[in-house]
Amino acid sequence: MNAQNPSLLSRLSSKSPWLYRINAGSCNGCDVELATTAIIPRYDVERLGCQYCGSPKHADIVLITGPLTIRVKDKVLRLYEEIPDPKVTVAVGVCPISGGVFRDSYAIAGPLDNFIPVDINIPGCPPRPQAIIEGIAKAIAIWQSRI
Amino acid sequence: MWFLPVLIRNLLKGPSTEAFPFGEAMTPKKMRARIAFDPESCALCRVCARICPAGAIQFEKRPDGLEFNLWHNSCVFCGLCTLYCESEGLHATGDWHLSHPQSEKYDLVEKATVKFQKCSKCGKQKMPAPLPLMAKLYPGLSADEIERLRAMCPQCRKAETAPQDGGTQ
Repeated sequence: MNAQNPSLLSRLSSKSPWLYRINAGSCNGCDVELATTAIIPRYDVERLGCQYCGSPKHADIVLITGPLTIRVKDKVLRLYEEIPDPKVTVAVGVCPISGGVFRDSYAIAGPLDNFIPVDINIPGCPPRPQAIIEGIAKAIAIWQSRI
Repeated sequence: MWFLPVLIRNLLKGPSTEAFPFGEAMTPKKMRARIAFDPESCALCRVCARICPAGAIQFEKRPDGLEFNLWHNSCVFCGLCTLYCESEGLHATGDWHLSHPQSEKYDLVEKATVKFQKCSKCGKQKMPAPLPLMAKLYPGLSADEIERLRAMCPQCRKAETAPQDGGTQ
């Protein structure tokens, strides 16, 4: 695309990573908080240059919620494969990190990092919007180093 | 015309977006976030480990006591441990800055060893008796008396506080 100046595209896209949410069997608490960070002007994650996108093929930073249930595991992994590299993975809430209250359940496949390389963890049940913004800011720093 | 007061009010109020992450974020005074543990006020009753719905609290045996472990990556901030801790050794703090890179995942642990003590009277090894708990158990006694009873094992304490010679205390 940019044969003369290959860093131009990288320079531009490093300022505007797009976020993509995957619900891996979450109770919806963390998803509500993720929607809150984007929609409510009080938190407004778009100040950091990112915005939510609807297609995994447009995504740069993946936010995964939920404990990765057995039923949803293959779908999450397939969806994760569709996201182009480089990507930054963020585990939102205690469920993807450790299983939270669902740990040791027969319906849970994992902690998430057994299947997907996670970069940033945001613990909380659910984490408050400011904590999510803090985690996304850390993910953007990783994203800028990768691109 | 009715929009004018709203417009003026909104202009005077300034932006409604919080400054975070470029400034300080508002934290409610009673917010439950990171749980803090005080080994000085732990009676080793282990109710917290039993009550924790996420299994975040665990005790491990050590030669001189028990090690308290709380993994913040499993804690759901329900506050049951702070409610059930009679000796007030667990408190919820307002520190919600818990996001971390994956390399620090298993470092996010509240860890402290609570040591066994020796009874001042019989010399046997005993569980610690923290001050807040003893103040609840013996409300009428002076601070010196409570300090003296704290250093004893339960058997010696029972014998000490029981009415002697059939009389009343």
